[in-house]
Amino acid sequence: MDRNQRIDNARRVVVTGIGMVTPLGIGKEEFGRRLFSGETAIAEIKSFDTSSFPSHLGAEVTNFNPRDFISVKNMRRMDNISLMTAASARMALEDAGIQITPENRDRVGIILGTAFGATDVTAQFAGTLLTQGPASVNPILVPNIVMNAPAGHTSIELGFRGVNTTVTHFAVSAETAIAYAAAEIRRGTADFILAGGVDILSKFYYESLTKFHALSPQNGGTEACRPFDKNRNGMIAGEGCGIIFLENMESAMARGRKPYCEIKGTGMGSSPTTPTGWPENTNGVKRTFSRALKKADCAINDIQAIFAAANGGRILDAMEAEAYAEIFTGLEKPLITALKGATGESFSGGGIMACALALSMEKNILPPVVRLTNPFRPLAFVAGEKKEIEINNAVLAGISFGGTYAYLIFGK
Amino acid sequence: MKKRIVITGLGTLNSIANNVPDFASALREGVCGIGAIDLFDTAAFRSQTGGQIKNFIARDYIPRNFSIKRMSRADMLSFAATLEALSDAKLYPMPNKLKEEVGVVIGGGAGGLLEAENFYGDLLKKNGKNAKFSKLSALFCASSADRIASSFGLAGPKSTFMTACSGGATALGYARDMILDGHASIMLAGGVEPMCRITYAAFNALKSVDPETCRPFDKNRAGLSLGEAAAIMVLEELDAALSRGAKIYGEVLGYGITCDSYHMTAPDEQASGAVRSMQAALKDSGLSIQDIDYINAHGTATPVNDAMETKAIKKVFGKRAYSIPVSSTKSMHAHTLGAAGALEGIVSVLALQHGFIPPTINYQESDPQCDLDYVTSGSRKANLRTVLSNSFAFGGNNTTVIFGKYSERGAVNG
Repeated sequence: MDRNQRIDNARRVVVTGIGMVTPLGIGKEEFGRRLFSGETAIAEIKSFDTSSFPSHLGAEVTNFNPRDFISVKNMRRMDNISLMTAASARMALEDAGIQITPENRDRVGIILGTAFGATDVTAQFAGTLLTQGPASVNPILVPNIVMNAPAGHTSIELGFRGVNTTVTHFAVSAETAIAYAAAEIRRGTADFILAGGVDILSKFYYESLTKFHALSPQNGGTEACRPFDKNRNGMIAGEGCGIIFLENMESAMARGRKPYCEIKGTGMGSSPTTPTGWPENTNGVKRTFSRALKKADCAINDIQAIFAAANGGRILDAMEAEAYAEIFTGLEKPLITALKGATGESFSGGGIMACALALSMEKNILPPVVRLTNPFRPLAFVAGEKKEIEINNAVLAGISFGGTYAYLIFGK
Repeated sequence: MKKRIVITGLGTLNSIANNVPDFASALREGVCGIGAIDLFDTAAFRSQTGGQIKNFIARDYIPRNFSIKRMSRADMLSFAATLEALSDAKLYPMPNKLKEEVGVVIGGGAGGLLEAENFYGDLLKKNGKNAKFSKLSALFCASSADRIASSFGLAGPKSTFMTACSGGATALGYARDMILDGHASIMLAGGVEPMCRITYAAFNALKSVDPETCRPFDKNRAGLSLGEAAAIMVLEELDAALSRGAKIYGEVLGYGITCDSYHMTAPDEQASGAVRSMQAALKDSGLSIQDIDYINAHGTATPVNDAMETKAIKKVFGKRAYSIPVSSTKSMHAHTLGAAGALEGIVSVLALQHGFIPPTINYQESDPQCDLDYVTSGSRKANLRTVLSNSFAFGGNNTTVIFGKYSERGAVNG
């Protein structure tokens, strides 16, 4: 290999491990099997009482046994969100075939996204403070209130000491974290970075989403998550963690690892909205999409698949579909899939989506959009069942209320 | 050649000043902003003091053409600081053609918790009947960046970092990267932290607050003082700044982020994370230990942090540690958590620009564990080339940023 090729490989960022704790399954085997067979994890919520709410469905993580992944010593101090994160991170490390050693630990890091953090613990702490006063609060809860707790606990549990930070920007938290991690690998700040996102369902969070009229059912419809469907009427809340393991191509080759895929480029953007509202037009999506393509040095007709942000919300799905219709006017349409009918909307679900995308590129299969029976636009949706197709380049879309965008371009 | 990223605008509100010129004077004079708090009732807490921003009336800072509806205190403070920074950088009103290329990144903290506490109290007390969920629309700290970007019509990258006490510093580093990597040509970067009961209760519960006023590096230091602040910088590429004739305050030379991987709330007494954070920032800046002229310490005034940080500085700088002035301006403006790294970034830049080292105030008795030059008898004149600023956080998150005085040939080659 000549020198230029080596320099090039040192700047190429690849995904060589994935780990996840999701409503669809713990770990890539179960997750992949259920995802590609078109199952959904959406069901009646069991972990708290929803009888006073109009919605009762959610996508909960079940059958997660933290003991399978986390030391008893550290488990005592960790809350639910940190347990999911540390377990996912451990799976991603193992999947990548990396052990943390005194020699490599300072060159391994984590960049995590979380939209809302530990809303369960924060609500508990605030409840005691506001009803019983400051003398009654439990100091043990304090470390877990801050949003960087999951990444902090994970670094302690797994013993790595490199770059460590937490992004929180609503529904693009995970996508932004992954983009930042890719840039840090490219820059050489770290050899290996775990990147992804985590969010959890809590009663307080569910109640807030209900009051903001974000959840299905709306407008007299029946309760269900139907991305891109004519009859969609809101999202279904979910939870979970998805983490991908990043390194540069030279390192992966030297270790003899075959990457799932490469992160070729990222684009970030904003557009004006009302507070927590949606933008009025598709300009933000189009601009950010084209920035990402440019960064990836990827031609638009080389994109075979889009993993959409759509979650069954009336405005988001319409805007996103409209944007792709405009972007691909007169061009061959890429296949579009959306996972949130299967996994629920966990806001930092970009981490789970990135894991799904990596599996898709490895297997050359696109997962279906669950419950999409009546698409409201004639785009190339993967409706009904999975689709086998050679995927050379795929797009991961991050769109958040409040007008924030993060697009990631993945390549073979 | 590597692009150079410079600072062309500053804006801040904090407990010792409500704008940048006043802040520079207050830092030089060693003003203490820590005192009684009236944002909420402190009677039942272990401590009653803090560094609250004085006389903040939003409409004195935010013109009527910007809506402040549903803004939290954090949103309003960060907006006011942004407006000052943009005006200072001669980017307000912002030319339309620039908006596509301008992004914003904020180190967040409590966000709208102060307002949410009132809501949550209602929710718990009265069976939720009168609780207004609309008060939650600004609950999360990402709201501030959203309000800034939407109000000014920005179309560039937008993000929020939340790593407790190092988020503001990380935001500055991330903003530099966004420009270096070509994602934006101008970044508004900084941090905001409002005071609120939950934060106040949390630090009191951990007994990390000094019931009096914090005394960094003092033998009898007994904890930190909590504060609030908004601090925003305008960053852009040097050539762009020069070609539009911008005033250049200084340069972001580099940064480093590491993790202790040790304990969630206690720093590693071996100081490994802090040492590596400073070393990573030096490496990123292409500087040697001889090149650092002043260290703006994290210096929270907790017994463990100040001893640990002193040890870390000695491990990184060796004998030279004794000849580098180190001060903790938290003695004046208190610990502003998510804003701290950005606020102390502004301190660093003002020190470079005005040629002085701000003091560590409230210092009385020396501690054998803390034996560096902490600038304890008033501010000091000094022609500084570079400043290294540390931010260490719960969760073991460390960020160090290095700033340089602007000179055509580079801070240390001038």
